[in-house]
Amino acid sequence: MQPTSTMNEEFLKKWQMGLQMFRPSIDNASVSERKRAIKLSADVAMASLRKGTTCWSRALIQKTATEDNFLVRQMLSGIKEETLINKKLPKVMCHRKIVRRSKKILMRRKSRSAMEEVAAKAKKLVKRKTQGLRNVVPGGEFMSNNVLLIQETLDYIVSLQTQVNVMRSIVDAAEAGIER
Amino acid sequence: MDLSGRFGARSGNGVPFREVTGLESLHLGGGDEFRQMVLPENGGGFTALLELPPTRAVELLHSSSSSSSQATLHSVGTLTFPSNPILMERAARFSVIATEQNPNGNISGETTTSSVPSNEHIKTEPAETETSDQAAVEKQNNRCGKRKDFDKKVKSSTKKKSKSSEENEKLPYVHVRARRGQATDSHSLAERARREKINARMKLLQELVPGCDKIQGTALVLDEIINHVQSLQRQVEMLSMRLASVNPRIDFNLDTILASENGSLMDGSFNGTTMQLAWPHQVMETEQSYHHRQLQQPPPQQWPFDGLNQPVWGREENQDHGNDHNSLMVGSASLHPNQVKMEL
Repeated sequence: MQPTSTMNEEFLKKWQMGLQMFRPSIDNASVSERKRAIKLSADVAMASLRKGTTCWSRALIQKTATEDNFLVRQMLSGIKEETLINKKLPKVMCHRKIVRRSKKILMRRKSRSAMEEVAAKAKKLVKRKTQGLRNVVPGGEFMSNNVLLIQETLDYIVSLQTQVNVMRSIVDAAEAGIER
Repeated sequence: MDLSGRFGARSGNGVPFREVTGLESLHLGGGDEFRQMVLPENGGGFTALLELPPTRAVELLHSSSSSSSQATLHSVGTLTFPSNPILMERAARFSVIATEQNPNGNISGETTTSSVPSNEHIKTEPAETETSDQAAVEKQNNRCGKRKDFDKKVKSSTKKKSKSSEENEKLPYVHVRARRGQATDSHSLAERARREKINARMKLLQELVPGCDKIQGTALVLDEIINHVQSLQRQVEMLSMRLASVNPRIDFNLDTILASENGSLMDGSFNGTTMQLAWPHQVMETEQSYHHRQLQQPPPQQWPFDGLNQPVWGREENQDHGNDHNSLMVGSASLHPNQVKMEL
């Protein structure tokens, strides 16, 4: 599924709305300030397209939270703060060395066949990669199962693609305008 | 493809589906409209099906007690092809069964759903799930899971254990026939369904991310996906930095003018605003004078549009990192409806 033109337009509109809200504070600010504001409105616009149905959108809106841009986020997203709270997964904090040592002992006890070893290594690899994916996708820690994770990744990639497309076209148009 | 267009309209959203063949559209809706769509294409769809080598999974559907005759995407109805003898014979031979529940509840005997020979069809269904409501999502997920099951059941499908068990996924009850030599307790069945769901979605992801089709193995595919997401995020950063370093006057005037206009006018004049603003005398542009100019001078504006479009969109294409050209052009086409003949 590739981004559609309606998605592009909606994102553009929301993004412009957000930028407008920032306008009074931005005109004299530095480049990094402006970049932050632009990125913020772009991210919130992208997330609000999903209207809170997906986990990553809620997590993204939450992540951009600071005290001063509360109003902006609220108005842009149209989502109340209460609904944004994701259920955090219980994370057991273990000392890594101890965990590794106990795993080694367990592995020694188990009788292993060649195939089992390979399968176990593959599983470990996959687990590591899914953890990496959780780190990249916003709100990945809150997705309890892999099915949800992959679904959210799909949606997130499509939304990122629209965001990139629209932003790129605007940037190119603006830069072309300057060069002239 | 025409079918895909209508399919998209059916679902009530604007998402275009790829690769929807007649067979695919059939097993999602039960309406006459679909049948009419399919019958002219009968030759195309079914002969393609018949040409499949026998080792590939061939399925059929027949419905016995499908009570839902809604022609919407969200319906879980099944279709009958009573008129096609060749397919009926194949059904007898391969006897693939998955049953699925109608939303109206009771456990019907043998409703079967179709599965599709190639995996692409399966993918379009999960693609739809993102835009449909939860109940339909679950059902379609189910169906996709079961369907992947049948793809693998080729030769062993003729002798199956006749045991059916129940899986409860949100609303519908799903009857699954276990394969020969497979454990039939509920745990392993649930696991199997989960695994197949994950595999279906991984296939979708593989299609979305460029360059993932050739890769074998979950870990490498996941690697590619992570890289792709990271690269997209970095691109967003880059683009916002570039935009920030551009003269702020331009983008914010752009915003005011865009925001103040209606949707259609905004789309039509999107490029016009950039043109106007780049020229030295528009910073103080008021909306009304802008409107005036827009209405009075469409012809002279065409020429500068063309001049701008080509370098801008030309640069787009050069910078394309494997994005789908069509989608970008569709997006840009929507922004410049006046420039329908895209000089691209």
